[in-house]
Amino acid sequence: MKVWVPLVKREFQEDFKASRGMAFFLIAALVLSAFAVLLVSNTELSLLDNTQAVYMMAGIVLALAALVAVIRGSDGFAGERDRQTLEPLLLTPINGPGLAAAKLGGIVFSWLTLFTLAIPYLWAVGSTGQNFFAAILYLFLAGTLIVLSFGGVALALSARLRTFKGVLSLGLTLLLLLGSPVLLGPSLRQSAVGRVLDLANPFAAALNTLDSVIIDSQGLSWQLLRLAVMVGYALAVLWWLYTATRRLEP
Amino acid sequence: MKVLRLKRLALTIVLASAWLIFGSMAASAGVGPALRVSLQAPAGALKMGDTPNFLGAVTNLGRQPAQGLVVYLSLVSLAPGHEHPVDLEDWSAQKAVRLDRLNPGATDFRNWGMRLIAAGKYGVALTVVDPREPRPIVSDLVPFEIQPKATLVAGRVLLVAIGEPLLIILLLGGIFFYNSRSYHKHKKEGLG
Repeated sequence: MKVWVPLVKREFQEDFKASRGMAFFLIAALVLSAFAVLLVSNTELSLLDNTQAVYMMAGIVLALAALVAVIRGSDGFAGERDRQTLEPLLLTPINGPGLAAAKLGGIVFSWLTLFTLAIPYLWAVGSTGQNFFAAILYLFLAGTLIVLSFGGVALALSARLRTFKGVLSLGLTLLLLLGSPVLLGPSLRQSAVGRVLDLANPFAAALNTLDSVIIDSQGLSWQLLRLAVMVGYALAVLWWLYTATRRLEP
Repeated sequence: MKVLRLKRLALTIVLASAWLIFGSMAASAGVGPALRVSLQAPAGALKMGDTPNFLGAVTNLGRQPAQGLVVYLSLVSLAPGHEHPVDLEDWSAQKAVRLDRLNPGATDFRNWGMRLIAAGKYGVALTVVDPREPRPIVSDLVPFEIQPKATLVAGRVLLVAIGEPLLIILLLGGIFFYNSRSYHKHKKEGLG
């Protein structure tokens, strides 16, 4: 168990002690700031008082989280391979799935930091509205599951493909594919086909959960199916990551 | 005598034709449903985010019941130079209802609610379509104005939007200072 500690420590240090990690958090904060200022300047966003603003802000946080998970996951093994640092890692007594778990832990830690950074923004745009605490809770739940899914897929690809660029482009394409139906808008997704696509898409399931909780004030029973879809994806991805990292090659 | 008979016959034909024409017109006016529709704006000033109810009334002035009436609301923006119809779906409004039957003399009162999502000058009207009538009946246009309302507390949003990146920049500066200091310390120790 002790061999994990330096690896997990190293992942966390990349976030906090290295200026690269902090620069990422600065960029994330700037993106959220830009969006918050945009919301202030748009008076028509009173459609549902502050709830709409909170939902939109939560959606941005979720998209950022998925993006970060893909980037960090792509760097997980392929980046180490590019920097020729994977071989020394493989010489440590920890096995492939253990390495993957440490890397995934680092990605989840990045998400938790991003989530913490996002709370003041959510408070700023939505504390006078309804469902603020429910929004925080469900953003945490949905965000963690999305980060596990996207980060896990990127890590598994990273273990299999040779270059960071290749994994990153594939991961970003996947994210775009899953994210694009959401951009179609709710009316187009109301058809039977749209509903099935929505249910089969973990990213759409996460956004629909936030929509249902924040805007429609619906309870847990309404979210169970969507949460089950996200948990199902996360478990499937974790299994794939386990099998993909059992035999890691430098 | 023959001429007199012919005159009587002509007069009878004229009278019969007149009775047939005017009688049927009078009958259709009395038998068919005559509808009256009106819409009333809520009292008081309206502002963004409100969900006021406009009171609509459809009255059957005819002698026979009206059946299968379709009543719907129309909203238009009256902003000078930017007049346009407004999609009621965005305003969470009930767009249309069907009245199965409206008895003679009866009035159907109904509240037409909507969520006011944008400021400006608007007009709303209620239309009734009777399937047996060639023209729909439209109420008078009810003009109203929606006052703007800031939904977000700008001061609080700006405080976070400016404050948080500044805080991270300070932290970055601290990390950079700490790293460079420990680097120089190690360098000195190495030289020593």
